[in-house]
Amino acid sequence: MSALSITRRGTVATGAWRPARMLGSSLTWTSAVYLGLSFFFGLAYFIGLVVGIAVSGALTIIWIGFPLLVLMMLAWRAAAMMERRLVGLAFGVRIRDPYRPLPKGANPFPKLKAMVFDPATWKDLIYLALRFPIGLVEFLASVLMWALTGTLLFLPLIVAIGGGTEVNVGVVSYWAGNPLQALPMSVIGAALLVGAVYVTRTMAIAHALYATFLLGPNASQAENRELRAKTEHLRASRARGVDAVEFERRRIERDLHDGAQQRLLAVAMDIGRARAKLDNDPEGARDLIEQAHAGTREAIQELRDLARGIYPAILTDRGLDPALSGLAGRAPVPVEVTVDLPERPPAAVESIAYFIVAESLANIAKYAEATRATVRVAREDSWVVVEIIDDGVGGAVVRPDGGLAGLADRAATIDGMVIVDSPPGGPTIVRADLPCSW
Amino acid sequence: MRVVIAEDSVLLREGLVRLLDDAGIETVATVGDGPGLPPVVAEHRPDLAIVDVRMPPSFTDEGLRAALAARERVPGTPILVLSQYVEERYATDLIGGGAEGVGYLLKERVSEVGEFIDAVRRIAAGGTVIDPEVIGQLLGRRRTGDPLEALTPREREVLALMAEGRSNGAIAAHLVVTEGAVEKHISNIFAKLGLQPAQGGHRRVMAVLTYLGHRDR
Repeated sequence: MSALSITRRGTVATGAWRPARMLGSSLTWTSAVYLGLSFFFGLAYFIGLVVGIAVSGALTIIWIGFPLLVLMMLAWRAAAMMERRLVGLAFGVRIRDPYRPLPKGANPFPKLKAMVFDPATWKDLIYLALRFPIGLVEFLASVLMWALTGTLLFLPLIVAIGGGTEVNVGVVSYWAGNPLQALPMSVIGAALLVGAVYVTRTMAIAHALYATFLLGPNASQAENRELRAKTEHLRASRARGVDAVEFERRRIERDLHDGAQQRLLAVAMDIGRARAKLDNDPEGARDLIEQAHAGTREAIQELRDLARGIYPAILTDRGLDPALSGLAGRAPVPVEVTVDLPERPPAAVESIAYFIVAESLANIAKYAEATRATVRVAREDSWVVVEIIDDGVGGAVVRPDGGLAGLADRAATIDGMVIVDSPPGGPTIVRADLPCSW
Repeated sequence: MRVVIAEDSVLLREGLVRLLDDAGIETVATVGDGPGLPPVVAEHRPDLAIVDVRMPPSFTDEGLRAALAARERVPGTPILVLSQYVEERYATDLIGGGAEGVGYLLKERVSEVGEFIDAVRRIAAGGTVIDPEVIGQLLGRRRTGDPLEALTPREREVLALMAEGRSNGAIAAHLVVTEGAVEKHISNIFAKLGLQPAQGGHRRVMAVLTYLGHRDR
């Protein structure tokens, strides 16, 4: 039975079909209990679902119905989770929760949305609804079978305690006046017991399959869906990555063209004029050389800043902490930096984290009118979280072609996210979650 | 005065040699990578080694490590590290091996010939010269409850100049005040930061730089 994944003690579908082995297996008896109680669970789920959904559905006329429906969904998901555990306990079948991962964060709305769009949520509902009719069948079969088997098997005991007993099965009736007369019935009961064990095990396998099918992940479908989603996601993030790189290259070209190139040209002109003046006007030539010298210094400084902007050497050499300290030291407002990483993340993560901080600090300097800022980089599970908070005026928005959007695009290339929270009046929080597999 | 130069760019290397030559300083050897430096220093015992931070083979902080290795081979060798970018962390690494005869300057300071030669002579004589930009970075990084907040603007100026390795006389000239006023400022600064008042230029620089570099770690 490949459809059933196995726990340590095996499942109802594994192991020998010899009566003695089956009678000695705890699975047989846990299955019997589950099937015997099946009706009550089924009934409870059914009533809960029918009443709950009807009431909340009716109440959607006023707003209260919607949160009630949400509560119903949470309740049936919880019931399905409990069912998975019960099925595991009773039949030894391990059913993994098939739900899609919920988005991170404290905001409940994206979580609820993900639940609503998760097919597993609706398969749960189908399972629970079917549990009532199926449970009824299981319950009736189990109870009748076990009652008859038990009565016949223990008839000598019953007669010994309670006196003469008549056994009626359909049109056949049998009178046992004393325990000895009841013994033949015991033999029949023993035969029935073997039958009952077979029936129980068969029903258990059937129920386990039905539970696996509706409560478990559906292998091929899930895989296909996941692959499709992944491909789509990769295509989108690749496009964003390409755009981000192109944007970056345009910016570098523009900076070179508007900055250092123009300055050096001015320097060349100054020197050319100085050369012309050298004989007739040495004093003027000296001034021009002085001016050219200052110009070269400015050009060097500009090139330095540009190169650092493309990729800071210290980041490669020493990692985020010193690189961010350097950024903070050059910022116009006091910036407090804490970097708390057990070890260095991959280079791509380091550089994206660095540029997110650089861009945010540049924005703070330009627009925020802040008096102070804090930068925090920390590892949370398998994520590197970068957070930049300032106490400025707030109201920052991510413009489609702005620096922050470019950062979000770059973060997307490694499946990271950038969130900007900037209410008018501040404080502004820029937070990036970057995935990190060390 | 004899120097060795470790610099991978031929253009800059030759420029440095000429610039030093104009000032009457002799270049006894040049190398183009990090690992070449310590043996040359051991061989020539120069009065100063001028080292570029970023050199082959790794093109990271090769020069800095080579400089520290050379100083281990021949203790007390004065070192001037030149870098396209100044980074406070490099400065604190460098100073970590003792601040006597140590310099850390932006490469472009070379174009201010007079000041550069002056720095070279000061380092060779056992002084300390740290680029104002590094000091700016170290001072710029403020934290809540930082004792630096207690300094007056004038005291901060004095602290920055002191950290660059300038003498009291030079600080006084720079700020156009008397040397006595500078001394008073300095003793106030040391008191406010809880540092032992240190005598002598490099010991004082060491105290200040250590303080600036380590107050957040």
